[in-house]
Amino acid sequence: MAMLEIKDISIRFGGVQALDDVTFSLKHGEILGLIGPNGAGKTTLFNCVSGVLKPNNGTITYEGQNLAGLKTDARAHLGIARTFQNLQLFGSMTVLENLMVPLDAFAKRGMVGDAFKLPRARYEERKAEEHARAILHFLGLSEHTETIAGSLSVGLQRRVELGRALCLQPKLLLLDEPAAGLDAAETAELAALLPEIRARFGITMLLVDHDMALVMKACDYIYVLDFGKLISEGPPQRVSSDPLVVKAYLGEAEEVA
Amino acid sequence: MGILASGWALIPSFTVIGLVLGGTYALAAMGLVLIYRVSGVLNFAQGGIAMFSTFIAYQIAVKWGLPSIVGLFAAIAAGMLIGYVVERFTMRPLTGRPALTKVVITIGWLLILQAGAGLIWGATSYHAPVHLVSRNGFRLVGTSVIIGYDQLTTLIVALVFAFATAALLKYTMLGTSMRAVADDPDTGKLWGISVNRVTAASWMAGSAMAAVAGVLITPLINFNTYSLTLIVIDAFTAALIGRLTSLPWTVVGAMFLGIAETYPRAFFNGAGVSSLVAFLLMLVTLAVLFRPGFSGRRTV
Amino acid sequence: MNAINARRISVVAGIVLAVAIPAFMADYYRSLAALSAIAAILILSLNVLTGFVGQISFCQYTFAGLGAMTVGALSGAQGHHWSFWISMPLGVLFAALGGFLVGIPALRLSGLFLAILTLGVALGADRYLFANGTWNSFTGGVNPRTPSRPTLFGYHLTSQYSFYLFALAAFLLVAFLVWNLRVGKTGRVLRAIRESEVAASTMGLNLIKWKLAAFTVSAGIAGLAGGLLAVQIGSVSPASYDFLHSITVAAVVVVAGVGSLASAAVGGIFIWWLPELLRHTGVNAQFFQLILGLLLVVQLVIAPQGGVVKLEHDLKRVFGLGRRGQDLELAEVL
Repeated sequence: MAMLEIKDISIRFGGVQALDDVTFSLKHGEILGLIGPNGAGKTTLFNCVSGVLKPNNGTITYEGQNLAGLKTDARAHLGIARTFQNLQLFGSMTVLENLMVPLDAFAKRGMVGDAFKLPRARYEERKAEEHARAILHFLGLSEHTETIAGSLSVGLQRRVELGRALCLQPKLLLLDEPAAGLDAAETAELAALLPEIRARFGITMLLVDHDMALVMKACDYIYVLDFGKLISEGPPQRVSSDPLVVKAYLGEAEEVA
Repeated sequence: MGILASGWALIPSFTVIGLVLGGTYALAAMGLVLIYRVSGVLNFAQGGIAMFSTFIAYQIAVKWGLPSIVGLFAAIAAGMLIGYVVERFTMRPLTGRPALTKVVITIGWLLILQAGAGLIWGATSYHAPVHLVSRNGFRLVGTSVIIGYDQLTTLIVALVFAFATAALLKYTMLGTSMRAVADDPDTGKLWGISVNRVTAASWMAGSAMAAVAGVLITPLINFNTYSLTLIVIDAFTAALIGRLTSLPWTVVGAMFLGIAETYPRAFFNGAGVSSLVAFLLMLVTLAVLFRPGFSGRRTV
Repeated sequence: MNAINARRISVVAGIVLAVAIPAFMADYYRSLAALSAIAAILILSLNVLTGFVGQISFCQYTFAGLGAMTVGALSGAQGHHWSFWISMPLGVLFAALGGFLVGIPALRLSGLFLAILTLGVALGADRYLFANGTWNSFTGGVNPRTPSRPTLFGYHLTSQYSFYLFALAAFLLVAFLVWNLRVGKTGRVLRAIRESEVAASTMGLNLIKWKLAAFTVSAGIAGLAGGLLAVQIGSVSPASYDFLHSITVAAVVVVAGVGSLASAAVGGIFIWWLPELLRHTGVNAQFFQLILGLLLVVQLVIAPQGGVVKLEHDLKRVFGLGRRGQDLELAEVL
């Protein structure tokens, strides 16, 4: 059984058909790429999976469970984590605090324990901090533990967001343009990091990005979206030489030129 | 709160009373809506401006004995001056900041105006209001209701303001400029509209309306530094029913509010019922009219 | 010296001064000191709501009133003569319930319209709930309830100095709890919600639950302040809990800053001692309101952060101490 099954997802905004009968599935342990020109509907699809948007049609099934009607925080508790294209870090909080938020969300201790610093609360807090620090160490962010998140460079902020998502201990990680704003070196680092995360934490990933280098290197399989429709799929090599895909991207380049 | 058995018989006269009450709310709400429409700021100090301007009229007409009409004009002038000062020095420098900031500033102005009036004229004392219109009334044909000329004037002036302002906004250059500024100040600048002048004009007009409202309303309620401020929630509710943008609908909303507050008093004894209705209506309009995520204009 | 020790020393020094100085004052000034401590608790309640969640409230005194009237109704001479130790917690719970109820419509409002809602609550309470005739068995109607001072471990707290110490202890306790919340899970969660609701819910946080919790706790603390106020003054009159008071405390919070516990203390002192100072110099106490309004306007037009907190920042920079995490000042929200 696939981990994530997207079936016939359609969504319309006013006069625009943002997603049109999109169907694909994600296998356990896969790193799946979703590419397409600007406005193709990639972030919209992500928003449907994470629960921010409700599709007009179709079903999204995660581990056999239909996600319809489940709020965003409920989906997080099922193990679906996500990063954001436009970086939704908690900018005025420190890096460590950012990572502890998902751990807080899953923690049992309540406000009373917090306020009175009861032993159980102190213990859980310490454990959460250790976990967060471990993730920071894994991502090479230890020196920035106490830095205010909003003051870091884009590249580092993206890594903090990744760390925050990892602290959710997810089974599925949705990465929305994780290379946006990164230079070539940082992108290459990211491309190497993703499989490492999979190996270390056993997380399945769905990746959406423009950056061909990243997608080619990191993904096992790719789907191509254009104007809300899937126009191609296959392993990276096959897709990059598919004429339909080239046209979709070239068409965009022509407009820009 | 006991239930009065004679409730239904009172309805006709209570309808009239409710409409008149609605008239005062409408008058109080007019300037509010204009200022909000053009500059995106909810002027919490509206009642304070009305109160302060009315005290100016009081000073001139009652203390110094000049004709009431002179007092009225002085009030209007005072209102316009206050509106200008508030806009020019405490709103304009904050362009681009969230609307909430400016609203809190208007609350600061409310404190200033209220304290100022209290210091100059005495806070808790009763003051004789300025009578512009004769307090005599006439009896409504077929009922035992007596409508005061001053009450009727309030209603008429509210309606006149509503439609005059609506016409101003729709048919004149100034009005069109105001609407342009309301929609998109940057584009307005491109069209050569002086955003500053237009915004200042809206504040001055709105404050002038507040002044007129104050002078007309105070004979009908207690005249002290506090009373006009209390009307603010009813005015807001009426303005909310008008979706904060439509003046005629604000009048409708005000009338509805006035009647909704008055009718229960035909059946129940307690004075608090009107306030309860006002509060519940405010809750309902806030909840119903404003969908999640709606926040009016976020930055102005 | 490092940051933590410096903070500890200044806190201890502050407490010592707070205990010692009023020992040399006349009773009248001691009552002002007690009132300041209570006002500081009220400011802390706003701290929770604003500093953490970024929501604004113009009805804190309404919640305080709920607490005060509960104490008055249950412990007052005209009432049931219940012990303060029963009526006070009940007052806190009742106020918290009020906060919860206000929080429900508040969930879908933000910024401007949330402010209107809280103002509406304050005015609605003034005109209806607290008005004479609506619920006189609770509010006391035209006859103010007169609760008497409580007894602590057999010691009757009638002397002003003893009650001041009690109020001070209450402030310190609330400050301790609020501080713990702020540096722990609750503070993080609420700040996260303030920063980005989308991200917060994606991280698994139930926004509804937490926002309601913030309102409830904030109102409960305000209720505590109200109950203490009732017993300090010795009488409960609804006019003392009106919207003008709510606006005043909100204004003080913007001016003094809400982010730190020191600013709560300063705010509390400001509210009660400045009018007193004005009285002494022969100036009408109404000037306090005028000055507050002017400070508020000037503050927002010119300076981005609350005055006290900015001062704290500057002092800390001078001594080389950092700040762990950042709380939002109300002026930053604005």
